[in-house]
Amino acid sequence: MITKRKNHLLGDVIPVIIIAAILIVLKEFKLISTSRLLILQYIGLYSIFVLGINMVNGYLGIFSLAHAGFMASGAYAAAISSKYFFKESWMFPLILLFGGLIAMLIGLIMSIPSFKAKGDYLAIITLGFSLIVQSFLQNWRFVGASKGINNVAKFTNIYWVYGCLLFAIIIVRKFINSKYGRSLKAIREDQVASELVSVDVKRAKTIAFAVSAFLIGISGALLVHLLGYTSPSAYGYTNIVDGLVMVYLGGMGSITGSIVGATLWQILIQTLKNLGTWRWVVGGGLLCVIMIFLTNGIFGNKELSDAIHAIRKYFSRSKTNKTISEETTK
Amino acid sequence: MNNEAIVSFKNVCMYFGGVKAIDDISFDVDEGQVFGIIGPNGAGKTTIFNVLSGIYKPTSGDIYFHNRRINNLPPNYITGNGITRTFQNIRLFENQTVLDNLKIAHYSHIHYGIMDVIFTSNRFKKEEERIEEESLAILDFMNLTAYAEQKAGALPYGAQRRIEIARALSCKPEVLLLDEPAAGMNPVEIDELNQLILKIRNQFNLTVLVVEHQMRLVMEICNEILVTNFGRKLAIGKPNDIKNNPEVLEAYLGKVKSNE
Ligand SMILES: Nc1ncnc2c1ncn2[C@@H]1O[C@H](COP(=O)(O)OP(=O)(O)OP(=O)(O)O)[C@@H](O)[C@H]1O
Ligand SMILES: [Mg+2]
Repeated sequence: MITKRKNHLLGDVIPVIIIAAILIVLKEFKLISTSRLLILQYIGLYSIFVLGINMVNGYLGIFSLAHAGFMASGAYAAAISSKYFFKESWMFPLILLFGGLIAMLIGLIMSIPSFKAKGDYLAIITLGFSLIVQSFLQNWRFVGASKGINNVAKFTNIYWVYGCLLFAIIIVRKFINSKYGRSLKAIREDQVASELVSVDVKRAKTIAFAVSAFLIGISGALLVHLLGYTSPSAYGYTNIVDGLVMVYLGGMGSITGSIVGATLWQILIQTLKNLGTWRWVVGGGLLCVIMIFLTNGIFGNKELSDAIHAIRKYFSRSKTNKTISEETTK
Repeated sequence: MNNEAIVSFKNVCMYFGGVKAIDDISFDVDEGQVFGIIGPNGAGKTTIFNVLSGIYKPTSGDIYFHNRRINNLPPNYITGNGITRTFQNIRLFENQTVLDNLKIAHYSHIHYGIMDVIFTSNRFKKEEERIEEESLAILDFMNLTAYAEQKAGALPYGAQRRIEIARALSCKPEVLLLDEPAAGMNPVEIDELNQLILKIRNQFNLTVLVVEHQMRLVMEICNEILVTNFGRKLAIGKPNDIKNNPEVLEAYLGKVKSNE
């Protein structure tokens, strides 16, 4: 009755490949306007961002607000590296890696408070972290203080974005299906019980924060090389709220959900761009609506691949029925 | 202290502020025994398990496992190295499948690292296959195969109790702690549970510590019994001695005596 899930990767990877193929056609044959192409790139890079947030807020179940700080670290580290060291476009992978690694290092440090602090307190600590990073950048002359960094090479293109997204999906997928991923979900449900079935909670949290920050750092690196500039104002409350909206909208603890959340929200805010300050109202309002009516988000703890698995199971006409009736309370 | 004991408590105290949950408790458990702990509500039975499994550090006294002092070790380490437990109020990972509940508990016995995960190395694949097989074998042994892919939280109470034991067994313990495994069971079910506990003990070469209110369970399968009352040791001995111990009768059946 236990159908092995050998092809679990397919469910999430195949759609991405199909999307990538469509993107290539769209771009190379100029079937899409530049502004639409830009939105597609936002969708891709924010999907990576949301996948990163989901590692901690979703799978591990910690309400963290550190993502703005991680994104800023990744973006600034990458921008500095491409301005001073990796100036050629073929070095872009190194730039992305550098952004990711610096953010990861900071993520490792940020995992320490999560060993002891819980709930509201941890939320405040991570919020404090994000705001400290922002004000640090606002005051650091070397990176342009509040003016930020300008004239960053625009290395990012749609292929890099979706290549990185594919990479991010594969990495998250692998972690989630390993003992580390299982322990994250266990900690989310009951930390004490996890420890009492031998799960190393500190290690699991460290890994979750590291992977999370790494992915968010890469999304930051992509963003700054897409826009060609960055400034501290991009990593404040707006960024924090955007991250939360996307992750809750799409669904906690879901790869598919991360992508869906990023896609819907990016389309929404990019089409409503001229809203100005009202954007805040829409963002905050949507967050309220999600929390009230869509508590689990669209794909909360579900994956597209689950559906594929279910369909396949259905067609393989499983012989499940015989075993079910066996149990009464013994 | 008896050097052959697998678990020893030596003058262990656990105070919560003014509450003396356990107070100067000493006992030895020999390897392979089924060791019962009984006592009225609030007598400190669960607290004995809590300090033994590392959730709480005892206020004073020492706890030994294979003659090694374990008071200051973290719970996941103690569990990974041979002492596992179930809970009085079932604490399964309710939203995970039964199979995943068991796989989670294999944690300390899975030998691969982060790099194996990233590159899906052969070692990773072999270990994942191994723990899947081992988990399924335990489920089979516990008669739970039908539930493997169902969410643990949705299952009947009796099944959940057995899943908790199955999950504890997945940690590959030497010592299994069962906290009121017979709670809410009728006499027939208790007899079945008795057989199951003995069967598990023999199959997995375990030492079992069991906290229970149900005399039917305790008296039938325990080799030795510790009686606690208000955190203190009242008596320790063979089931028959305990049955006839006046102090125990007093603590348990005090009212009956005065009525007579
Ligand atoms: N974490 C804690 N903080 C404060 N007091 C505690 C704590 N844990 C246990 N106690 C107290 O210690 C005493 C013993 O509790 P314990 O749970 O060990 O009893 P028990 O013998 O398991 O009882 P029961 O049969 O009801 O399960 C009780 O008075 C309880 O209130
Ligand atoms: Mg108890």
